[in-house]
Amino acid sequence: MKITVKLIGPFVQVFGFSEKELDVPEGTTAEELISLVSIDKSRPKIVTRNGRAVVPDEALAEGDRVVISPIYSGG
Amino acid sequence: MNGWTGQILRVNLTAKTFNKESFTEEFARKWIGGRGFAAKILFDELAPGIDPLGPDNKFIVALGPIAGIPAPNTGKAVVAGKSPSTGGYGDGNLGTRVAEQLRKAGYDALIVEGKAAGPTMLYIEDDRVEFLPADAVWGKGTYETNDWIYAKYGKGVGVLNIGQAGENLVRYAVVRSLEGRAGGRTGMGAVMGSKLLKAVVVKGTKPIPQADPDGMKKVGMDDLREVHRIDKEAGWSIQSTNGVLAWCNEVAALPVRNFRKTHHADAWKVDGERLNNARIATYGCPNCTMRCGITIHDDEGRESELDYENIGLLGPNLEIFDLPQVGSLNYLCDDYGIDTMSGGCTLSFYADAIDHGAVAGDYGFNDAAGSKKLLGMIARREGEIGNILAEGSMRAARKFGHGSEAYAMQVKGLEVAAYNCKFIPGMALAFGVSPIGAHHKESWVITFELKSTSRESYGPEKAQKVIDLQRIRGGLFEYIVSCRFPWIEIGWGLENYPKYFKLVSGLDWTLDDFWTISDRIYSMIKLFWLREYPGTDRKLDYPPAVWFDPANADTDGPIAGRHLEYDKYDGLLQHYYDLRGYDRRGIPTKATLERLGVAEEGRAAEKYGKLT
Ligand code: SF4
Repeated sequence: MKITVKLIGPFVQVFGFSEKELDVPEGTTAEELISLVSIDKSRPKIVTRNGRAVVPDEALAEGDRVVISPIYSGG
Repeated sequence: MNGWTGQILRVNLTAKTFNKESFTEEFARKWIGGRGFAAKILFDELAPGIDPLGPDNKFIVALGPIAGIPAPNTGKAVVAGKSPSTGGYGDGNLGTRVAEQLRKAGYDALIVEGKAAGPTMLYIEDDRVEFLPADAVWGKGTYETNDWIYAKYGKGVGVLNIGQAGENLVRYAVVRSLEGRAGGRTGMGAVMGSKLLKAVVVKGTKPIPQADPDGMKKVGMDDLREVHRIDKEAGWSIQSTNGVLAWCNEVAALPVRNFRKTHHADAWKVDGERLNNARIATYGCPNCTMRCGITIHDDEGRESELDYENIGLLGPNLEIFDLPQVGSLNYLCDDYGIDTMSGGCTLSFYADAIDHGAVAGDYGFNDAAGSKKLLGMIARREGEIGNILAEGSMRAARKFGHGSEAYAMQVKGLEVAAYNCKFIPGMALAFGVSPIGAHHKESWVITFELKSTSRESYGPEKAQKVIDLQRIRGGLFEYIVSCRFPWIEIGWGLENYPKYFKLVSGLDWTLDDFWTISDRIYSMIKLFWLREYPGTDRKLDYPPAVWFDPANADTDGPIAGRHLEYDKYDGLLQHYYDLRGYDRRGIPTKATLERLGVAEEGRAAEKYGKLT
């Protein structure tokens, strides 16, 4: 299934891409996706799926947009 | 008195007099500095009901025990007075060399009273105070004024100045300092302007009294290096505050089209990546090693320094998705001394009011040229519309009528910062209960709302989080007077602040001791509001009505069909009051005032409004 991953803020420079589409196996979870794009697990982050926060073991679905962001604190 | 100079400089512009006043150790420990000093002085000295733009208002510059001392991000000053935009307590902070210079001159605060006979520049050098004519720069923008001052005194001095907006009493005029940025979006530039005070220039040569100066120097320098290292590792300052724009767009929290929409397909054009790509220089306040200002060339080739708030409100909020154009609007605001946030919201309100037939006008969204023209008219109060918009969105809405009050994006008269809370209840509460109007500096809870609880919740956990953050952001950082970014953006530990406090003052305090101070100051600011608005009720703490309007709900995206609900918001507000020890009007109870050591101030306020 096709998933779009979008990185936010410094993650773009640190992990080397801004947005990309991935073809992942059915049932891939949010946490597995994060490993797939080599995002350091220990980094504090907030992950959203189609604009809503996800828990790590939530299974993704075809066409999802997953956004991985540092935890901003609003200036 | 280690940690404080122990002196306040009081200047009277009418009489051209000044005197140095000592304050007690008890006063210092009770109010610490910055916002604490300012709120206490204004509460004690301003008669309720005075005109914020009249000579009875006072303009205060207040510093804290670590302000100006080399340590992470201490180059900040608080400017305060009765707010022309809200009629309540008003303040703001800005990066400026005044922080260090005023303390070296021997003062923890400056109080400016009265009104000068003509345009004046106040020059302070240690014990010397001069009242100098500023006619040469009256009518000029802040850049030219700053250059004029630097040409006279060199770049080492601390400068606060205003542009045409402050002179012409635009209710959301700011104070500017080219050593940092702008501050006092509650109209502190207009308070200076009402006193014909064009600029304050400060030079100091004395040491700042500290319990352990050598220890502070070592720790401060080490920590400045460490903050720099952490920032570089985290990469925060690559996009700085504007990193959040793309995220707000993804989670439907971006202000688009006067907050009518929460996301836009073109938002990427003004996001942090594009801003970093357009960077021509990096800009920072004094004593900062994580400099967050990103400067670009605007569409007229001028250098304009941008961050998230000004991009959000002068960009997507006006449906302008072109960075150089946004840069240009930002440059004009900075030069005129207009608050970029209130300026952006007032323009977007005008476009929306035309759109909804509340008023006729030749302006609309996605109109950069029209926006530039209007900013100039506002700064000069030119023509009927320039004059109306110079009053801010709340007053403009009263003038336009036709239901436009519902979409004037303000709380208590201060325009909303760049977070669209159409369906973010906790952040809507943070704007609602901010003690100065809809400012984001007090509390910011959006990631907490999405990650640690549910977006739908109106539960007490959100009210508690708002309070926790108020204690830190609107409390600690505003009275110890230091930039909050090291803590909020790169996780610099809060425990460092009692450490610095101990090195300068010798006092061994815990963070809990500081939270009591924060609560005390918040309670007293509430008393200030009560005196000004004796009939006050909880409606004063409500966010803009349009966020509750089902007809305004998003039609697509993550929060399609969702909006705030009155009953639930009111319940959330009650959680906040209960946790704070406030009554149903949002006023601290007598028991709360007693507990926080402000019973005396309560009795003084009681002459004007009832306490329970
Ligand atoms: S982080 Fe930004 S606002 Fe804070 S002191 Fe540094 S330059 Fe100024």
